[in-house]
Amino acid sequence: MGLLSKFSLNQKLGVLALALGALAVFANVAPGHTVKVNAKELLTGVARAEDHVTPQELAAWIIEGRADYRLVDIRDEKAFAEYHIPTAENVPLATVTDGALGRTDKIVLYGDGGIHAAQAWMVLKGKGYPRVYTLLEGLDGWKDEVLFPVMAESPTAEQQARFERAVQVARFFGGQPRAAAAPGAEPMALPVTAAAPAVAPPTLPAGASSGPKKKREGC
Amino acid sequence: MASVTHDVVHEGAAEKARVAQPYMNPYLAGIGLGLVLLAAFVLVGRGLGASGAFNSTIAWLVSLVAPGYARSNEFLSAYLEEGTHPLKAWLVFEVVGAFVGALLSGLLAGRVGLGVEKGPRVSVGTRLALAFVGGGLMAVGAAFARGCTSGQALTGGALLNLGSWAFMMCVFGGAYAVAAFFRRQWR
Amino acid sequence: MSAPFYKLGAFGDEASLIVAFLIGIGFGFFLERAGFGSARKLVSQFYLNDLAVFKVMFTAIVTAMLGVTYLSWAGVLDLSLVYLVPTYWIAQVVGGLLLGVGFVVGGYCPGTSVVSTATGKLDGLVFLLGFAAGTLGFALSFPLVKGLYAAGDIGTKTLPQVLGVPYGILVFGVVLMAVGGFMGATWVEKWMAAKAARAAE
Repeated sequence: MGLLSKFSLNQKLGVLALALGALAVFANVAPGHTVKVNAKELLTGVARAEDHVTPQELAAWIIEGRADYRLVDIRDEKAFAEYHIPTAENVPLATVTDGALGRTDKIVLYGDGGIHAAQAWMVLKGKGYPRVYTLLEGLDGWKDEVLFPVMAESPTAEQQARFERAVQVARFFGGQPRAAAAPGAEPMALPVTAAAPAVAPPTLPAGASSGPKKKREGC
Repeated sequence: MASVTHDVVHEGAAEKARVAQPYMNPYLAGIGLGLVLLAAFVLVGRGLGASGAFNSTIAWLVSLVAPGYARSNEFLSAYLEEGTHPLKAWLVFEVVGAFVGALLSGLLAGRVGLGVEKGPRVSVGTRLALAFVGGGLMAVGAAFARGCTSGQALTGGALLNLGSWAFMMCVFGGAYAVAAFFRRQWR
Repeated sequence: MSAPFYKLGAFGDEASLIVAFLIGIGFGFFLERAGFGSARKLVSQFYLNDLAVFKVMFTAIVTAMLGVTYLSWAGVLDLSLVYLVPTYWIAQVVGGLLLGVGFVVGGYCPGTSVVSTATGKLDGLVFLLGFAAGTLGFALSFPLVKGLYAAGDIGTKTLPQVLGVPYGILVFGVVLMAVGGFMGATWVEKWMAAKAARAAE
């Protein structure tokens, strides 16, 4: 075309760049908010208990110092500031899909109980996150099983040994054992979040290994 | 005049093979580079880089000589993953590829040949000494910045990364600030 | 979304290393095409005679940036899976300044020194060795510089986030700035060439 040949290559490239740049003003680069769920797969996973980790497992991971997962507290900032499980990061429920959580991360979600975490779990599974789990019973489970373990009525030797270890773990996280609570008793006071563990981490049974290190992606 | 014509005729074909071709239009080269960068984003979800490959290599060399120290050094240990050879890193392979690609382009353009890039007013020795020192300074800069011009400026620039743009401006700023002092090396 | 392919499981670690090698070839190829194996050409940027460094760099940035924008918009690329180096602004400002000085003193950056070495330049090789030495020195003195290294840690931040401007608008802004810069660069080069011609008279 006669008109085009009047301009140099560089000028044409410049115009092309400006045109593409102008059009880009309308671009929406955030991934969409619709989620598709494979119901059968999802529910089967729940039924097979593949969707959660227990408080004891999580406690062991924290003591081991594992760095291959992210512990996510989905409550609001105020609740998080009052107390959160050590090593947890705060991603309030409504912002869970905003991008703080990478799709390839291994993620453990927890809330006060189990419901909100389960809802976040379902949404993230729908977005294709392969390794998402909830903490069984959330903070309630953490308090009952890890922070404030209960001594059984007449423990067997094995139960006694397990309880001893549970007490060690509890102290590591700033908690303490308690007798079986009467219904309606005062809830135990939560440890202050900022306090570093005062007790040396309890020795774990052999075989505890740390997870793989995160792959370097910098330049 | 006659001698000049004579020289030109004489050199003819033999020289043609060794005469370097002019460089590519910078905008076209930039588009090529940009597409390579885009390919990295699309294929692997990361950008280009170079300094990281040096970090891996140094970490590896230190681990050969003093493995205990290497593991305890906070900076180096990040490049020494249990179970993988430190040189089996994405950037190491990328930099080796860059060497090959550069050689290829150079051969095609007749630009491969032993030499030293320097201005007329400085000796080879001085130039090499400055090259070494400059390299050292850059390495420290790249370590602090978590990258160099390819990793931070190009990659981070394209992704609108805050730190990368700040870095990029400082690179130009720092260079322009001292250019006058080193004029002798180049002009 | 199908991309980034590696992160969505399309191929494994071994294959990604081969991809790294191939991408590297493209990287080195275009750097050499642009003449960046020559220290003299590179530093000419800072003496204003030849602004190819600015032109190549920003054209590459604009090209990749537009590509990323359009591919994300089309739903092909999941931008949240593309790695972003976190911002340590104090360390990065210091690093940038040092790098700029090193560029003028040494004549290369690590990537271009590889290109230079590949085309047989001894100063490129020496720069590379100096870079390696500098890296070792940094590593050995890490306990001393740890504080500065981590200074200004504000996490992963993008310009759209920090400036509160929508991504697309910022992209357009960068394109405008780049094209304006290119026009300015052409003018500066002509001016410097005229100045040199006048000085030669």
